[in-house]
Amino acid sequence: MLAHVDGKNFYASCHCIFQPELEGKPIIVLSNRDGNVVARSDAAKALGIKMAQPFFETRELREQHEIFVFSSAYELYGDISSRLMSILTQFAPEVEVYSIDEAFLQLEDYGGMYPTYQGLGQAIRQTLKLWLRLPVGVGIAPTKTLAKVANKLAKQRPDGVCVLDTPQTIREALEAFPVEDLWGVGYRSASKLKKHGIKTAAQLRDVPDDWIRQIMTVNGVRLVHELRGFPCKLLEAGPPAKKCICCAPSFGRLVPDLETITDALTTHLSRACEKLRKQDSLCGSITVSLHTNKFRKTPGNGLPAKQYNNSITVSLPHPTSATGELLTYAVSALRSIFAYGYAYQKVGIMLTDIVPGDYRQKGVFVEGPNEKRLALSSVVDKLNHRFGQDKLRLASQMYNPDWPMKPAYLSQRYTTRWDEILTVS
Amino acid sequence: MKRTIDHLPPENIYTVDPTRRVDIPFWEMPVPAGFTSPAENYIRERLNLQDLCVAHPDCTHFVKAVGESMTGDYIFPGSILVVDTTIPVDTGRVIVAWVNGGWCVKRFVRKEDMILLESSNEAYLPIYLHEDRDKLIVLGVVTYIVSKPPKYARPR
Repeated sequence: MLAHVDGKNFYASCHCIFQPELEGKPIIVLSNRDGNVVARSDAAKALGIKMAQPFFETRELREQHEIFVFSSAYELYGDISSRLMSILTQFAPEVEVYSIDEAFLQLEDYGGMYPTYQGLGQAIRQTLKLWLRLPVGVGIAPTKTLAKVANKLAKQRPDGVCVLDTPQTIREALEAFPVEDLWGVGYRSASKLKKHGIKTAAQLRDVPDDWIRQIMTVNGVRLVHELRGFPCKLLEAGPPAKKCICCAPSFGRLVPDLETITDALTTHLSRACEKLRKQDSLCGSITVSLHTNKFRKTPGNGLPAKQYNNSITVSLPHPTSATGELLTYAVSALRSIFAYGYAYQKVGIMLTDIVPGDYRQKGVFVEGPNEKRLALSSVVDKLNHRFGQDKLRLASQMYNPDWPMKPAYLSQRYTTRWDEILTVS
Repeated sequence: MKRTIDHLPPENIYTVDPTRRVDIPFWEMPVPAGFTSPAENYIRERLNLQDLCVAHPDCTHFVKAVGESMTGDYIFPGSILVVDTTIPVDTGRVIVAWVNGGWCVKRFVRKEDMILLESSNEAYLPIYLHEDRDKLIVLGVVTYIVSKPPKYARPR
């Protein structure tokens, strides 16, 4: 059996831990640059605020109702998430961290400690409520897909736990479960299935394997088997390394000059390289892209502003992860696509052709990566980890530059900064 | 078959924090004439304040005190309180709690069907809480207090 534990409105709930006065109130959390709504409390959902809705569209609602707005505070969410996952390991030895607020627990050989699965689910919920003050839903079922179904149903129940352990309960749950809400059924698959008259998860479970393979490839077959109670998606304790690392946040203002854009590119590249080295990989090619704001109107006449979008991919002579080495290529790539006379909205960097960190292949005319520079980069990472981001950086990168967007609705980072901890009287 | 859930005492529950770094001293002693250092058998881990104060790293919050209502319990303005969320709240415990809109640190006392939040400074009155009228949310129990020594004032 597997349990799926999922934080209820996780980001919004994290804010409620230290601000209990917000409990039951409409709360929205905004994306990285305050652009869209990425999380909502139940009360905010009830007001009709949609997921991923642009923030400016909520203005009217915010004037009518008292809505609490937060810029995303990933430091806080990340810390609460690691506490959550760590507490979960006390209930089951094997925990797969599926996302920042979701985990699968392997419950095999574990029935003894709690009399029933329902009891275990309750214990998980109560412990997290008491120790972390975090509301969660718990779904328990024989496969991951069914556990996800159970969790969706758990959220509608007052006790927040749903156990699907007998053919009877599974059948009842699937018969009432819309097929588009299943894990792994996207918008396109759902509309294809509906065209063939498949509306509920129970109908999907009973289709022949060959037929579903034609409609949804092998992933569909896996899904159907999971629905029948045969586990196909196994617990993944260590996440696979990323195949592509991308960093392309917008500027806080429009930027016309190459110098500032180069500075931003250096910052983005440093950030991407840190991620690359953290997963112990090297990258073989980089893509630099440059964009103007496609929604911008020319001030004065209100006509659409002139646009320029371009990108270029550079294959490196050998895979590397050294920021300095990659920067040389990135900057020359940027120079080759930069055009004067435009107000740019963002510059992006993407690292691709990612290979494991011990990969070395010397060409006829090229040596391998500069080992000294690789070593240097790892020392830089260690120092920055200890003394703070960007304390040691390339000379072409400004410290505390003025181009990034500053989030407007910051909250205290209660658990990760000494000067922002909770105060009591 | 058991009908109730056995509650594990929290002190029996322990998670290993792999990120915590422990310095182990490395004693490199040249051995000139076959005589080993007598201290070699006594090398231990270095002491770490976190091990002393934080029993449950995942369930601990650090909280800063302001105000002087708890000076009798050695909680002064600026003291850092180590708050453990796993310890059951009971009469006599110093707790950090949210009461009717604000966070406070007080001594928790249960008196019949009322809850009393006492200060340990005589200048402050206790807070009486009624179940149907007041809202109390407990963050946790104060297990350690980290303070600097008071400023020395030369007696005249």
